[in-house]
Amino acid sequence: MEFLQPSTWTEALQMKSAHPEAMPIAGGTDVMVEINLDRHRPASILDLTRVTELNQWGADGEFLRIGAGVTYTRIIGELGDRLPGLAMASRTVGSPQIRNRGTVGGNLGSASPAGDAHPPLLATDAVVELASVGGTRRLPVREFFTGPKRNAMKQDELIAAFLVSPAKGPQQFSKVGTRNAMVIAVCSFALTLDPVRKHIGTGIGSAAPTPVIADEAERFLEGVLDEGGLWEKPASVDASALARFGELVAAAAKPIDDVRGTAAYRRHALAVMARRSFGWAWDEYRTKASE
Amino acid sequence: MGTFSKAMTAQNGFSVIGKPFPKPDAVSKVTGRAVYADDMLPARTLHCRILRSPHPHARILSVDTSAARRMPGVQAVITGVDLPIKFGILPVTQDERALEHEKVRYVGDPIAAVAAIDEEIAAAACDAISVEYEVLEPVMSIDEALAETKDERIQDYGGPNNIHKLVALEFGDVDAGFERADHVREDVFFFQGNTHLPMEQHSAIATFVDGRVTLWSSTQVVHYVHRALAKVLELPMNRIRVIGAAHGGGFGGKTDPFAHEIIVCKLAMLTGRPVKCTLTREEVFYAHRGRHPVLMWVRTGVTKDGHITAMHFKTALDGGAYGSYGVASTFYTGALQTVTYDIPAYRFEGCRVFTNKPPCGPKRGHGTPQPRFALELHLEKIADDIGIDSVDLKQRNFVKPMTRTVNWLRITSCGLDECTERVLTASGYRTRQKRRGRGMGFAISSYMSGAGTAIYWNDMPHSEVQIKVDRGGVTAYCGAMDIGQGSDSVLAAIVAEELGLQPRDIRLVTADTDTTPIDLGSYSSRVTFMAGNAALQAARKMRDMLVEAVAAKTGSPGDTVTVAAGRIGDLSFEEASILAEARFGTLTSAGSYTPPKIAGPYKGSGVGPSPAYSYSACVVDLDADPRTGIVKVNKVWIAHDVGRAINPLLVEGQVEGSVYMGLGEALMEEQAFRKGLHKWPSMLEYKSPTFMDMPEVETFIVETVDPEGPYGAKEAGQGPLLPVIPAVSSAVFDALGVWIDEVPVTPEKIVEALRRKEKGEAPRFGPVRFPSIPYPTCIKVEPPPRTLEVGSASAASI
Ligand SMILES: Cc1cc2nc3c(=O)[nH]c(=O)nc-3n(C[C@H](O)[C@H](O)[C@H](O)COP(=O)(O)OP(=O)(O)OC[C@H]3O[C@@H](n4cnc5c(N)ncnc54)[C@H](O)[C@@H]3O)c2cc1C
Repeated sequence: MEFLQPSTWTEALQMKSAHPEAMPIAGGTDVMVEINLDRHRPASILDLTRVTELNQWGADGEFLRIGAGVTYTRIIGELGDRLPGLAMASRTVGSPQIRNRGTVGGNLGSASPAGDAHPPLLATDAVVELASVGGTRRLPVREFFTGPKRNAMKQDELIAAFLVSPAKGPQQFSKVGTRNAMVIAVCSFALTLDPVRKHIGTGIGSAAPTPVIADEAERFLEGVLDEGGLWEKPASVDASALARFGELVAAAAKPIDDVRGTAAYRRHALAVMARRSFGWAWDEYRTKASE
Repeated sequence: MGTFSKAMTAQNGFSVIGKPFPKPDAVSKVTGRAVYADDMLPARTLHCRILRSPHPHARILSVDTSAARRMPGVQAVITGVDLPIKFGILPVTQDERALEHEKVRYVGDPIAAVAAIDEEIAAAACDAISVEYEVLEPVMSIDEALAETKDERIQDYGGPNNIHKLVALEFGDVDAGFERADHVREDVFFFQGNTHLPMEQHSAIATFVDGRVTLWSSTQVVHYVHRALAKVLELPMNRIRVIGAAHGGGFGGKTDPFAHEIIVCKLAMLTGRPVKCTLTREEVFYAHRGRHPVLMWVRTGVTKDGHITAMHFKTALDGGAYGSYGVASTFYTGALQTVTYDIPAYRFEGCRVFTNKPPCGPKRGHGTPQPRFALELHLEKIADDIGIDSVDLKQRNFVKPMTRTVNWLRITSCGLDECTERVLTASGYRTRQKRRGRGMGFAISSYMSGAGTAIYWNDMPHSEVQIKVDRGGVTAYCGAMDIGQGSDSVLAAIVAEELGLQPRDIRLVTADTDTTPIDLGSYSSRVTFMAGNAALQAARKMRDMLVEAVAAKTGSPGDTVTVAAGRIGDLSFEEASILAEARFGTLTSAGSYTPPKIAGPYKGSGVGPSPAYSYSACVVDLDADPRTGIVKVNKVWIAHDVGRAINPLLVEGQVEGSVYMGLGEALMEEQAFRKGLHKWPSMLEYKSPTFMDMPEVETFIVETVDPEGPYGAKEAGQGPLLPVIPAVSSAVFDALGVWIDEVPVTPEKIVEALRRKEKGEAPRFGPVRFPSIPYPTCIKVEPPPRTLEVGSASAASI
């Protein structure tokens, strides 16, 4: 096995271009599992941990641009106030050890339908920045996932960063799992309230071949809030509207029966999580508004 | 904590017993200095990997190892023809081979093994072995095993079809009992299989020097490994030595002799070099021998006021591919119902089937958590039916101390009432607020302090201890294996107590077939009771010699010589030991323990009798989300009648560990398969609780001082697991009004039961039918006289 260890981003891209088959490794919390279980024997490995550019984050216009190599622990500690939804999701990843090593870039690289970073990235309309020696392109995260554990990255590309706007309103993330730590989601749900754009964002994990958004549910709830003028005068939202929102979220999923849970339970739990997430987020919005 | 600390400081007249001493090996374990089998790396060690079957059921047509043998670094390759002799833990089911050359019966069945200079080469050589199979139709469930065989039976014994064992026993007149009843109820339950999940994977390393094999292994029973090695390797036992290495947990999963233990010995004999094999975590899931999945049917008759008149209990065990302890497991699913509740007439029909899955065997509570789950819930439903409080109904039927059950089990000490009172009071169970989504559940249980009969028929004591005193130092020798439960601590405490020393003064040599006398090993919760009694006897003999020597020297009568605080009379222990050595020569003493012959007069009576039973009661408080079905356990109160806590710190450790394991089984653990493959053979995907899931546990140690236990001690390692599982399900009912009659109690099952309830269907989730099984006609057994004479030694022998 060949081991490539670039120390700069330019070098990394050159190596990837010269060795398109090379498997990038960041935290290694997915890569090493694959190798140890002998599911995958890459001919060469491209170690990205020395590329300092990947470990940085900062402002990029109205966005935050976060390097692919920033770990969950750092997202929780350094960005928790600006990206509360992603931070909530990060707290549910694995264990402290996994969060110290694992990165959002790696989560995107694996593109597992169960990746916990994905629903909050979808719910906030995040953008993935891909780069190769040929240049850089930015892709909305909802176009990034192309199939189960497949993404839009080309052979010679690497993930440089993701871009996301700081929260303008309440965000939520919930996850159903068999236990309270070290658990891959049975299903998960992220919700964003954006009072500036009057927009509801959603993200569903582990309940379709890829992470997905609940388009129709978003538009339905936006309609309810607009019609009632609720963004301006936040009153409580009708229970039947909440129920409908839950149904629409569940309907957006395409779950299957697998070792972690049944399709029926996933749909059911998604509806519950959607209703509750909105309830919590809306309460927070109303409290803030009345202060 | 309140009761615990009281027990820890109890003024009980002992200087060591009842005090919370740390384990003798605590520091080495915590600092990583303990030497586990996998840590051992003698010069020139070869590494072994095992080629295992990818098919759940297939005939082996050919095995070609030529390519593997040619690989550089490969030192030896063996196949089934090199180890053809069958073995197995029970004499009646010698059905395993270290390497199969005719047929494989589960994914993971070993076929060939390689010894190479490193693990990678050994693994690559395994890949280079080509095996031709004729794939057979696999049998994957109890129903399939009962049905007509499609290709061929899994094993060539047992039957009809893939039935392994059938049992049918009747004690007293069951039909008359049902006729006498005012109310009769039937229920069906299912308990899913689960596995032990010890932190340490199985590991073994063997050497072959001067014609003698030495094996260090992570085993619970050096003696059984010793026997299996002698048989399969065709060597006299005196040319084999088995040593228990530092142990990282067993829970029953290291109680069988295993293929890899035999394989490394054979490879060491062939190469003359040390050979080591450590199973991967995935292999451990396939080695298994864990909890049997059991389908259960129970019918009970009660009078209007809730007294049981008769019970009929049927079980069907999914045994996996081999016998293992299965015959015993089958009997255990019917044996201990009677040691908590007074059942005047009892019929038990049990059945174990073979399936093409890893073999099931003993896991903590061996064969009894499943029926305990069923029994406790079943009685709650009966109480509901006849409008009696379920705790009252259970209490009305509690067995009494110094009685004999209808199936001839002898009950001496019994703390059921006190355990129950403790947890009910502490939890406020009786006055709890009824609120949707929050509930409490109560359950009780009992377990054996060691089986009264050995696994293979023999007249030897079940445990022996030798003590040597030399230059003031005390060494105790015993075959018992400390698997983390603290058996070394118990031995040290007992010897220290008797000799007026501290536990740290006692050197221990344990679990080594060359240097220690026999002990049947760490399973069946037998070590404290049996090795403890042997140690007590040996220590008292040694004490008598020391006292006699001091008395002779000082001219004072022996009974005035006190033994305490490191002194024998007026002399230091060292001075006394020199006097005694001068008087008696080499100072050694021995003690042994043979359980009383208390088995009933019927075939199959060997499973169930124990010199003493422990008792437990438990209350679980939980939140159950009526929308998602997610359960959060808030607190567990548990009281355990351990007879006497030799070391309350360790008793509490065992109780908490049992609660932990019980919660895992109740809520999440599943050893389940898809097309013969384990669904989740990793610690990430096989869900057992993390510390984020573990609630507070309040432990009450109840001391009934058993008449035959060492200082009155009984078991603590397994019993406290049993009530936790039904208490969880019962608390879910308390919270949501639905019965989950199937373990594990998962959110999906709760949601489905709630959905059924809403639709007006039966508010439960669980199996609906019990298959038709060709049980033989019941052996009818006349019940014994039901009371024992209090305090009579003859209680032991009837
Ligand atoms: C015990 C355990 C628990 C876990 N629990 C969770 C959990 O709760 N939730 C969850 O979502 N995940 C979980 N995971 C999976 C894993 O931790 C996450 O997916 C994590 O985000 C992966 O990040 P990493 O940096 O370790 O990625 P790596 O393993 O280094 O890489 C993952 C993939 O991304 C590619 N890659 C990495 N960086 C780049 C880059 N810059 N450009 C292009 N490709 C790249 C790699 O080639 C590889 O295909 C768990 C894993 C383990 C072992």
